[in-house]
Amino acid sequence: MISINQLTKRFGAQVAVDALSLEIPGGQIVGFLGPNGAGKSTTLRMLTGMIQPTSGSATICGFDLQRDIIEVKRHVGFVPESGAVFESLTGLEYLEMVAALYGIPPDAARARIEQFIAFFDLSFETLTDKLLGAYSKGMRRKVVITSALLHNPPVVFFDEPLDGLDANAAVGFKALIQTLAREGKTIVYSSHILDVVERVCHRVIIIDKGKLLVDGRPDELVATHNSGTLEKLFTQLTGGAELEQRAEDFAKTFRS
Amino acid sequence: MSDTAAAKPPLLPSRMSAPTPRQALRRLFMTLFLRGRGARGLNLKSAPKTVSQKLLLTLLFYGLFGCVTFTMVGQPVFALAVYLHAMTFAFLGMFVASSAGEILFNKEEGDILLHRPIDPRTMLWSKIRVMIEISLWVAGAFNLAGLLTGLASPDGGWRFPLAHAVSTTLEALFCTGCVVLLYQLCLRWFGREQLEGLMTTTQVLVAVAAVACSQILPRLMFRYGHTLTASENSWWMALVPPAWFAGFDDAFGGSAAPISWIFAAIAVGVTVIVLWLAFGKLAHDYEAGLQALNQTVRKQKKRGRRWVDWMVNVPPFRWWMRDPVSRTSFLLITAYLVRDRDVKLRVYPGIAPMLILPFIFLFQRSGMGNFGVAFSGAYLGMIPLFGLNILKYSQQWQASDIFRMAPVCGPAGVCNGARRAVLLFLTIPMLFAMTAVVALLYGLNSHIFLLLPGILALPVYSLVPALLGKAVPLSSPIEEGKSAGRGLNMIGVMVISTALSGVALLSWSQGWFWELLLAEAPIVIGLYVGMRFALEKVRWQSAE
Repeated sequence: MISINQLTKRFGAQVAVDALSLEIPGGQIVGFLGPNGAGKSTTLRMLTGMIQPTSGSATICGFDLQRDIIEVKRHVGFVPESGAVFESLTGLEYLEMVAALYGIPPDAARARIEQFIAFFDLSFETLTDKLLGAYSKGMRRKVVITSALLHNPPVVFFDEPLDGLDANAAVGFKALIQTLAREGKTIVYSSHILDVVERVCHRVIIIDKGKLLVDGRPDELVATHNSGTLEKLFTQLTGGAELEQRAEDFAKTFRS
Repeated sequence: MSDTAAAKPPLLPSRMSAPTPRQALRRLFMTLFLRGRGARGLNLKSAPKTVSQKLLLTLLFYGLFGCVTFTMVGQPVFALAVYLHAMTFAFLGMFVASSAGEILFNKEEGDILLHRPIDPRTMLWSKIRVMIEISLWVAGAFNLAGLLTGLASPDGGWRFPLAHAVSTTLEALFCTGCVVLLYQLCLRWFGREQLEGLMTTTQVLVAVAAVACSQILPRLMFRYGHTLTASENSWWMALVPPAWFAGFDDAFGGSAAPISWIFAAIAVGVTVIVLWLAFGKLAHDYEAGLQALNQTVRKQKKRGRRWVDWMVNVPPFRWWMRDPVSRTSFLLITAYLVRDRDVKLRVYPGIAPMLILPFIFLFQRSGMGNFGVAFSGAYLGMIPLFGLNILKYSQQWQASDIFRMAPVCGPAGVCNGARRAVLLFLTIPMLFAMTAVVALLYGLNSHIFLLLPGILALPVYSLVPALLGKAVPLSSPIEEGKSAGRGLNMIGVMVISTALSGVALLSWSQGWFWELLLAEAPIVIGLYVGMRFALEKVRWQSAE
């Protein structure tokens, strides 16, 4: 479903993604992890056609990222970390606009939107009367997730999707992506909430400084590295040691 | 089963009634323009409609301003059309230049639209169409009276309104196409890394060029005693774009002089070439530019302290910025004036075209000499007024909550810091530039003193926007300060500056200039102290 070959992105002298190669088949939920600035978002932005790779290639659903970019975009859904929306549109106006961009007729779009708002426990009045600028962060995130799934894409990229969602919505969302994966969709899930990744994902990829560090099933990776939990494995691999000492040093600043 | 086949989404119902992406985008960008991009409103019905209301008022004012053309009844079509197109060119140029950056290269919309299956050309066209539509509303409002006046022209008639409507549409396409083309050429020649700096420069140049072109033609008309006609002797007018469109009017709805046909051909030919280059040939560069906005390029930081940090710590600036809140606000505004793309795109293109007028007066030495100097001085006071008004608006207006959260009673300190940054970095350099031009043109003689009435009033002008705490920097969404009304503000500024310079000039000629300054000084001091006191008393208003 997703095939990445030596994908590289440089910003001037800085290498954000360094010759990344991966194969992700359909029906898999892949946890895409890394510390801040590791290159996760840049990779996702390249795979969704938002920025151009410096070198390397990738195909999604058989469509080449460089040659068939519009087809690639038709086959992916993306929830960006920013959760950006047009704040002066109502939720319904926003979703209908997105549906139109994918060529979904208004009636079909309306039916799908109703399904999603029922799933996320939003009222239709909120969607029709309130401008997105007045939505809470969680409500806005629900609209962004809905807009990413509206065209029924076979590949979905989530960048910190749980940010702002309440506990019930987060539980519902986890169930949703597991259902989507069972239906054959590929889910790439980038998050810093490692216990959720450990529970939900079939496979975990950890990158740092643009390079692939480990790739495998969460339980196997934890066992291989003898780390006990995914969180400990993550800090072990990405230089997160001595965190307690750093916290102590930070607190000292206020004591003096 | 192949990967591709397996990946195909389920068949959707018939697309017969689905709006096309172009229609959806056009509707989106028009809604965003009319409603603004940010929303404080809680629901659709109570959503702020200030942008559309302001646009209606702006159109009404343009319509009224266009009534000036009734004074040209009886003029030949070419003279009337030159005036109409020169003014339209300025209004459109300023509107397109100040709106293009925000509409064409909006950083926030990258996360929403760039991963959708949209052809860059479709996106570009949808945005351009909205800009052209709004340009045409502005142009239509201003030209309405001109259409009627043209009917009564000696060589005019029923064909004039038709010809003028077509030529105005061409002019709107030309203005918009030029801005887009300039951006794309900048992207192609200088690369993506310098896009933001280039956008500011481009907009400043376009706005300045639009105002300069609009000022040159009507002034030449005065020189020819309002009887400007299309003839072989007016070939030089081909150098000024509004004359091409005026030629179109004259060819199809006026005297049909041979040179008018040449001008009309240039108007059509150049517009077609500009549009072909901007939307056909170079559309791919637009996508590259949009992608560039989503890339964070980390610049190599220079080691050592920033120059501005050093500056505020040495006298006399250390004394001037002794209040820590004012100093912090000064540093913040300086950083925004130097670095922030959104602020740079609104401040410099907003102020630059206004500064053309005094220079035009200064260079018109014959008969306008003293007036030009006095006008320049009076006009100078408007820089802090406009600068601070524009700096009120920011895309990150919600971040200004930090001012309210800080243990500070009211906005006085924050406003004072912003005021000082605008005085130091925008007003004083301009003051030196104008003084240098006056000295160069008129020599270092007593003429230069005519600048003084305006310079004396500078501190008062700079406090006017801050009164009642209304100019807290970076604290309002940009939609509340849409640029469509900037042309109107400029007219207001011209009226006030003309009145001030008239008084200065009268006192100069009557021999009581120094008495005027002696009278002005205590008034300015009194007003300044009173306004500072009033500002200190202002408390934070509730942020609803």
